[in-house]
Amino acid sequence: MESSLATLTITEAAKKLAAKEITSLELCRACLIEIEKNNKSLNAYLEVFADVEEQAKAADARRAQDEREGNVSHPLLGIPVATKDNILIEGRHASSASKMLENYVASFDATVITKLKAAGVVFMGRTNMDEFAMGGSTENSAYGPTKNPFDHTRVAGGSSGGSAAALASGMALGTFGSDTGGSIREPASFCGLVGLKPTYGAVSRSGVMAMGSSLDQIGPFGRTVEDTELLFDTIRGKDALDGTSIDAGFYPKREPTKKIGVPRHLLANGVDQDVLAAFEESLKVLQSQGYVAVDIELPSAGLALAIYYIIMPAESSTNLARFDGVRYGLSIKGETLAEDYAKSRGAGFGPEVRRRIMLGTYVLSSGYYDAYYGKATLAREKLRKEYADVLATVDAVAVPTVPTPAFAIGEKAADPLSMYLADIFTVTANLTGNPAISVPMGTVVRGDKTLPVGIQFTAAHGDEDTLFKLGKIATGESK
Amino acid sequence: MISKTDIEDLARLARLDLSETEKEALIKDFEGILEYVGQVAAVSGDVNQKPIPPLRNVMRDDALYGADVPTTGKQEALLAALPKREGDYAVVRKIIQKEA
Repeated sequence: MESSLATLTITEAAKKLAAKEITSLELCRACLIEIEKNNKSLNAYLEVFADVEEQAKAADARRAQDEREGNVSHPLLGIPVATKDNILIEGRHASSASKMLENYVASFDATVITKLKAAGVVFMGRTNMDEFAMGGSTENSAYGPTKNPFDHTRVAGGSSGGSAAALASGMALGTFGSDTGGSIREPASFCGLVGLKPTYGAVSRSGVMAMGSSLDQIGPFGRTVEDTELLFDTIRGKDALDGTSIDAGFYPKREPTKKIGVPRHLLANGVDQDVLAAFEESLKVLQSQGYVAVDIELPSAGLALAIYYIIMPAESSTNLARFDGVRYGLSIKGETLAEDYAKSRGAGFGPEVRRRIMLGTYVLSSGYYDAYYGKATLAREKLRKEYADVLATVDAVAVPTVPTPAFAIGEKAADPLSMYLADIFTVTANLTGNPAISVPMGTVVRGDKTLPVGIQFTAAHGDEDTLFKLGKIATGESK
Repeated sequence: MISKTDIEDLARLARLDLSETEKEALIKDFEGILEYVGQVAAVSGDVNQKPIPPLRNVMRDDALYGADVPTTGKQEALLAALPKREGDYAVVRKIIQKEA
């Protein structure tokens, strides 16, 4: 990516906009040029909005008005952003990268969109994703995979792969995704970005297509931790339209311990050696700033992925029951009503979505409910308790975000379980509701390509501030 | 472990039309996935005495359907999403049918 306005951080761009060195129109045009150059090969955007320049002009006009009236403009005013295709923007298509919703037009704004509109961002388009956010590579999109900007033969990660690839290749200055089991943090790790999964409830989910309702959170991608923090601050907060949402002060503040917990027992097997080396380097940076890395035990963490692949399909199959071909979405007629449902759903959902609906139906069926869903719920509570106990003694838990760098497109396509294993370190924060961030921790070399990898910090509920603080130290943004 | 009849029963419960090839593939997928997630069987505890998670009810005052409901005033947009409509009505299939 060549240096242009499109490669600025949001903080830098906001300064230039405020100083009138640049306009939002120039900034957005710079991103449109990158889109023109890259989107065909990367497939990051499913749709680039036709009115980007009009939105940018409106933002410039609003800035001029703010100045006349002596108001301070929001730092995101005129900043080009992109949102995942499962977040509703009124009057625009929203498909969750599914054939089921190919022609669906959103009838209202998601609360995050309302907040971003109030801030005055420019929406560049909707980004590619795994269908209904199910996957870790964006290969499950009904509209083709998103490629990794660092190596086009590799995946961008998923399910928010389009949002990651768009930001990493200069097609926007900040992007948003959803994270049910790592769908923001894993692509952030694969694309050299910062990605935040906020505390459960920190961001309203009104107007976001539900996947696993006890797990889902909306969060930002940034080029820096500072940008990510700004984007999070803009969208967070309690919302009457989402009963699970909470305010910033919901959880009590805690005193810093200057300790980072490292669950060594989870890193002994299955983590790529180069990734582990980068992880150790990253820990050293924190140690040089006065942090102590301590060994911690999380006995149930080894079960996290098994728990997740019971809870998530159970909730997803329930949430996706709403697609019946009657009210909206694909509708195919059969001989009977039951056939209408089965045909519409069979044709509208892709293979991975169908697989998860089947799994969810299985683990919730009466003969197996206790053995799977019941046990998973028990184990989830144990895991939550273990994290709460550990986070009473350390500021955060650190692990590599993903055990490997980005894998090759097609590599895991034939074996769903191997694909699921990429989520092994990210699903825990969704099960426990803790906030977690992935920040770049260096690179590893594969062939002639240099691939980014990320470190993940998990903090106590409501303690995103610690994540930002640690992230800034790890990336060298602050010392 | 899981039979084709099981898969067909599940597909009927889930209201999913599946091809024969997909049914066969799912038998294999289920085997691997269920073996992996079956690890939770090792967790001790009675599933009928689940610990109470730290959750609480969220209540709100009753309010008129109005300003803070996002779909208020969006009737036409909601109707436009219907696969089949007649005026302001959704056209749905007759549920009770004559026996064949």
